[in-house]
Amino acid sequence: MNDPRKTESTTHFGYQSVPESQKARKVAEVFHSVAAKYDLMNDVLSGGLHRLWKRFTIELSGVRRGNRVLDIAGGTGDLTLQFSRLVGESGEVLLADINDSMLKVGRDRLLDRGVAGNVRFVQADAEKLPFPDNHFDVITIAFGLRNVTRKEDALRSMLRVLKPGGRLLVLEFSKPSNALLGKVYDAYSFAFMPLAGKLITNDADSYRYLAESIRMHPDQETLKSMMAGAGFERVTYHNMTGGIVALHRGLKP
Amino acid sequence: MLGTALLAGAEHGLNRLLRLDATALPRLARLAGCVLAVHCTAPELHFHILPNADGLRLAGNWQGEADCTLHAPAASLLRLAASRQKTAVLHSPEVSLEGDSSSLLALAGILQDLELDWEYELSRWLGPVVTQLLAGSLRHSAHWGGQSLASLRQNLADYLGEESNTLVGRHEAEARFAEVDDLRLATDRLEARIARLTHPQESSDNA
Repeated sequence: MNDPRKTESTTHFGYQSVPESQKARKVAEVFHSVAAKYDLMNDVLSGGLHRLWKRFTIELSGVRRGNRVLDIAGGTGDLTLQFSRLVGESGEVLLADINDSMLKVGRDRLLDRGVAGNVRFVQADAEKLPFPDNHFDVITIAFGLRNVTRKEDALRSMLRVLKPGGRLLVLEFSKPSNALLGKVYDAYSFAFMPLAGKLITNDADSYRYLAESIRMHPDQETLKSMMAGAGFERVTYHNMTGGIVALHRGLKP
Repeated sequence: MLGTALLAGAEHGLNRLLRLDATALPRLARLAGCVLAVHCTAPELHFHILPNADGLRLAGNWQGEADCTLHAPAASLLRLAASRQKTAVLHSPEVSLEGDSSSLLALAGILQDLELDWEYELSRWLGPVVTQLLAGSLRHSAHWGGQSLASLRQNLADYLGEESNTLVGRHEAEARFAEVDDLRLATDRLEARIARLTHPQESSDNA
């Protein structure tokens, strides 16, 4: 009789190789640990640049009043907050996150900012989105795809729930286009990020995972191919901050 | 990314100003959903304005369709921002509009009607007592400055017109203008009389 542990395929968790069934739990542990100070850490680690990256994402979404938007891995709700203003009362924004700690932080933060009425919160797995086919005008996933175990399944799931002509925007860390910048960025990632994590959240390991997971994530061209392979058309990407972050955009045919 | 950062900074400053007016944000909320494109023709620059209940959103890379597009050189856009007569600037020949201009005119109206409560903003930083003292002093200085300017203008006009005789005084000029007007009227009457005297002759010739 075969032992199931021997046949289960593995995936990466940072630089470690783990069984696929364990990655989601390990990622969840990371985000349970950092949820409370997630926004502060984003500002510290990016120097506030994450606000500009997200602003650019909103602009390229071309979202209009009355649209239905899905913000996957929406976390503390930065994108949802802006989308809710743009779609108005006749539109709807769904903030989805697989991690309940992040979802609670996001929900509380948005309610504190007076965002209500056109926003719903859903705990959902990006690989198996619990929504009908052809349902959303815009889907975004910002700094979330690299934590997904089976990225191809997630992209296909997003394609399914998008309306024809709908847009998927993937904002994610990527590969710097300049080798020198890459070396500086490596030094920053592996020296400063865990140190900042230790000082602010008392958790260096989560930020070491962040640096490692960024290196394991597909580069710009690979992700573009993956999106095209999942069925998206007119896939383009924009490098930001020298390619440290890239925004991929694809349309559902 | 630099353009996005600059627009974000401009948006932040603009929205702080808009919050100083009690009626601007509720009026902007009624324009929520409109997308206004601005095309600066010289120098070449594109950006979008999206009004909402929190102010204005300035976007340099907006991918959606615009309800109205404004084409104008930078000088006209600056005049539009600074002028009290915004609708006059919008109708000038170097400015052109495409699409539904009602939302743009409504936005121009809101910006034109801005009455900034700068005392409120100052009181947030300095407290009510210091603000009251400072505002009183500033108002007094502004009143004194206005009066001084008006007085200077009057004295200069009197000097140039009455004392140095460099320019004709207002009363003298008005008297001359009145004489010119009388002369013009007299000429018109003379022309009419001549025409009337010559007309019967032409009539009798025809008869």
